[in-house]
Amino acid sequence: MTAESRLAAAAPAQSLWALAGLTPVVKLAAGAALLAAWELAVRAWAPAYVARPSGVLAVLPSVLASGAFLSAAWATLAAVLEGLAIALVSGIAIGVAMGRSFVVDRLIRYYVFGLFAMPMVAVLPLITLWFGYTDAARLATTVFAAFFSIVLNAADGARAVPLEYLEVGRCFRVPRWRVLVDIVLPASMPYLLAGMRLAAARALIGAVVAEFFISVNGLGFFILFNSRSFRHDQAIVAVLVLAGCGVGFEALVNWSTRHYFPWYRRDEQPR
Amino acid sequence: MSRKVLGWLITAAGLATGAVLWEIAGRSVGAAFVAPLSDTIAAITPAIWRALGSSLVLFATGFSLSVAIGVPLGLLLARVRILRVALESYISVLNATPMAALIPFILSMMGFDFAPKVLVVFLFAVFPILYNTVEGARSIRPELIEVARSFRSSERALWRDVLLPFVLPFVLTGVRQAIGRALVGMVAAEFFLSASGIGMTLQSAAQSFDTATVFAAILLVTLLGVALMQLGEALERRTARWRNIK
Repeated sequence: MTAESRLAAAAPAQSLWALAGLTPVVKLAAGAALLAAWELAVRAWAPAYVARPSGVLAVLPSVLASGAFLSAAWATLAAVLEGLAIALVSGIAIGVAMGRSFVVDRLIRYYVFGLFAMPMVAVLPLITLWFGYTDAARLATTVFAAFFSIVLNAADGARAVPLEYLEVGRCFRVPRWRVLVDIVLPASMPYLLAGMRLAAARALIGAVVAEFFISVNGLGFFILFNSRSFRHDQAIVAVLVLAGCGVGFEALVNWSTRHYFPWYRRDEQPR
Repeated sequence: MSRKVLGWLITAAGLATGAVLWEIAGRSVGAAFVAPLSDTIAAITPAIWRALGSSLVLFATGFSLSVAIGVPLGLLLARVRILRVALESYISVLNATPMAALIPFILSMMGFDFAPKVLVVFLFAVFPILYNTVEGARSIRPELIEVARSFRSSERALWRDVLLPFVLPFVLTGVRQAIGRALVGMVAAEFFLSASGIGMTLQSAAQSFDTATVFAAILLVTLLGVALMQLGEALERRTARWRNIK
C-alpha cells in the first residue's frame, strides 16, 4: 500500500466500522482480548496463587457478600468522602481568598505550591507521630492529599472571573461578601470541579496508602492482608472496587461539567 | 513602589513569618511533635542527601521508562484510530485507578529487588502520559488532516507538521502530571517494598521519634517535588504557547 492510499483508508472522519455502529463491539473485543491475555499469561508463567480473571470471577459473589469486605469498603469510602468534604470547604475558603486578594496570594503561594508538589505519602510517618495508628490518621492523610489541589484550582478559578461580572456587581453596589458568594463562586465552578476530580483521585490514593501504613480496617488493608495470605483473587476484588470508585468520581465530575457548564473548554487542563 | 516589588516583599514577609512560627511551634509543643526549624536544618546530614540521591535514581529509572513506553504508545494510538477507540476506555479506567492498591501484589510476586520498585514508579507515571496523549489525539480537528491530505502531504510530513505539533502539548501535560504521581510512587515503593532512599530515612526516623530527621527528609522531598514540577511546567509552557495555559 502506498502512503496515499493508506491515508485515504485511515483518515476519513468516520471509518467504515464506526459508520456500521461497531464502536462498542471494537471496545468489547479489546476488553475480552486483554482479559484473555491476562488469563493465559498467568496460567503459562505465574505461580498458582496469582490472580487471574476466572479465579476473580469465581470468588466475586462470596467476597462482595462478606461482612469483612463490606465494612472495609465502607470504612475507606467514608474516610475519603469525609476528607473530601473537609478539604472542599476549607480549600475553597483559602483558595478564593488567594484568588481575590493580592496580599493573601503573595503571603502563602509558596507554601501552597510547595505542599501541593510534595508527594503526600511522605507525611505519613509524621501523621502517625501526631495521630497515632488510628482512623484519624487516615482521615488526616485524605484531607492533606485533597486540600492543596482544591486550593490551587479555587484560586485559579477566582482569578479567572470575568471582569465584567465584577463591574456589574460594583455598579449595583453589591456588598463584598455577596460578590464572593454570588459572583466569584458560581463563576469559578468549572475550576472547582476540575480541582475536585484531581482531589478525589489523590484522596483515594492517600486513603489506600494510609491503610497500608497504619493497618486500620479498609480496602487497602483488605488488599494487604489477603495478598499476604496468598489469596490474590479476593484481593483483586478490592482493587476493582477502588477502580470503580475512581472512575465513578471522575465520571460524576465530568458529567456535571458537561451538564452545567457546557461552554467550559476541556483543553484548559486542571493542575 | 511597584506592585511587583511589593509582591516580593509580602512573599518574603510570609516566608519569614512562617519560619518564625515554625521555630516557636517547635520549641513550645515539644520536639517529639514538631522539630523547630533550626533543628530541622541541623538534621540535614550527608546521609540524607545520599538517601535522596538513591531515591532520585529510582525516580529517574521508573519515570524515563514510562516516558519511553508511554509516549510512543500514545502516538501510535493517536494515529491508528481503531486501536485508540479499542483501548481509550481502558486507559482512562486505569488512569483513575489508585495504582497504590497494586503494591502488595507486586511485593508478593516480585519480592524485594530494585525492579519491583521501578515497576511501581512506572505504573504510577505511565497512565497520565497515555491518557493525555489519547485525549490530545482525540481533539485533533479532522480538517487539519484533511487539508494536509488535500495538499498531498506524505505520511512523514503529516506527522512532522500536523500530528506531532498538535499532540506534543498534551503529551507534556501528561508528563507534568506523571512527575507528581511518580514522586508519590517513589516514596510509596520505598515504604512498602524493600526500604531504601528517603522513604527508609523517613520511616526509621519516625520509629525512633527522631522528628528533626523526619522534618528534614520531608523538606528535601518537597524541594525536590517543587523543582521537578517547575521543570515539567516550563517544558509544557515552551511547547504549548498556543494553548491558553498560565
